[in-house]
Amino acid sequence: MFAKEMLKQSLPLVIICGIGGIITGNTLGAMIDLLEDIPGLIVVIPAVIALRGNINTALGSRLGSAYHLGVIDAENLWNFELKQNIMGSIVLSVLMSLIIGVLAYVSSIILNVYPDPLKLIAIVVLAGILSGLILTFLTIIIIYIVFKRGYNPDNITGPALATFGDVFSMLCIFGSAIIIGGIN
Amino acid sequence: MHFWKCNNNWGDKLIYSWKKIVKNGIPILTICICIEIFAGQILQGNQNKLFLIPIFLISIPVVNGIGGNIGSILGARLASGLHTGLIELNIKDKSMRENFFSSLLIGFISYVALAILIYYIAYFGNIQMNIGLLEFISIIGITGFLLIILVSLISVITAFWAFKKGLDPDDMVAPVVTTTGDTLGIIVLFLLIGAIGI
Repeated sequence: MFAKEMLKQSLPLVIICGIGGIITGNTLGAMIDLLEDIPGLIVVIPAVIALRGNINTALGSRLGSAYHLGVIDAENLWNFELKQNIMGSIVLSVLMSLIIGVLAYVSSIILNVYPDPLKLIAIVVLAGILSGLILTFLTIIIIYIVFKRGYNPDNITGPALATFGDVFSMLCIFGSAIIIGGIN
Repeated sequence: MHFWKCNNNWGDKLIYSWKKIVKNGIPILTICICIEIFAGQILQGNQNKLFLIPIFLISIPVVNGIGGNIGSILGARLASGLHTGLIELNIKDKSMRENFFSSLLIGFISYVALAILIYYIAYFGNIQMNIGLLEFISIIGITGFLLIILVSLISVITAFWAFKKGLDPDDMVAPVVTTTGDTLGIIVLFLLIGAIGI
């Protein structure tokens, strides 16, 4: 009784999120030349994708709890609590992107691959800032729609943000690699 | 910075502060990043295989994503069950086992369905392929099935362990499961590609 409802609700959701994964994968497939040209770039990809998912699902889940606590709702959305949450997520994005770049560089050297440190770190941080801004904006839109319609945010924000997060962080990495890879 | 300070309708009773959010986030995110960088190094070590057969490169976000999603759903359900008392802290609990086996079923169906979809998208997108449909479905299907067993086990163990320790399983399961799922997904995929000998 417990498990049948899981099959009914989760299977379509998992498959839809899988289609988001295919878009992410195809972006990765389109990046093959860049991945070959910039050593170390492939190393940061799982970390960047996971970071976006972790920061944004945490943001979504905090805003979900804030909604249940009555701190924010559709009419009183743009308030102090929301701004603190946004600020926290953006600061974490930038800081953690920096750590990803440094760790990818150091671990590559240990394994005898020599990436260009400035290029690698600049790509990760630029991608972190871009995707952080885009996804924070998206989170607020999703939260607003969810509040407006009276859905339970806990059921929707997690998978929705994880999937959008994958797609946009991959596109942002692609974009920053082109911009920064093209500089020299 | 007055932008962040205006419009405080809640007097002294503030719940969130960005400094606290950053401080709480750093340790868990740093651990996750270290494990993910390890997964990334496995990718870099095998990148010639990936560039030769790009269909596997395309599959990686899907393989990891499904594993993480199912692990998180199972974890969230176990957490709710434990909180409400519908699930007992016992490895023989019937509800827990039903949820566990449903996860395996959902995982297996999703992996096979998405493997077929990836194959035909690659086929019509003129992506270079040196692999047949059945061979590809079996590699992704078996990888997925092994991964789902591992991720579901980790999910049950994390949820039960957290609940026993008095921690909220809702906070613990998602990061643990998505991070270990990514790494295990990449390891299992390359082991199978190696075993089949492409």
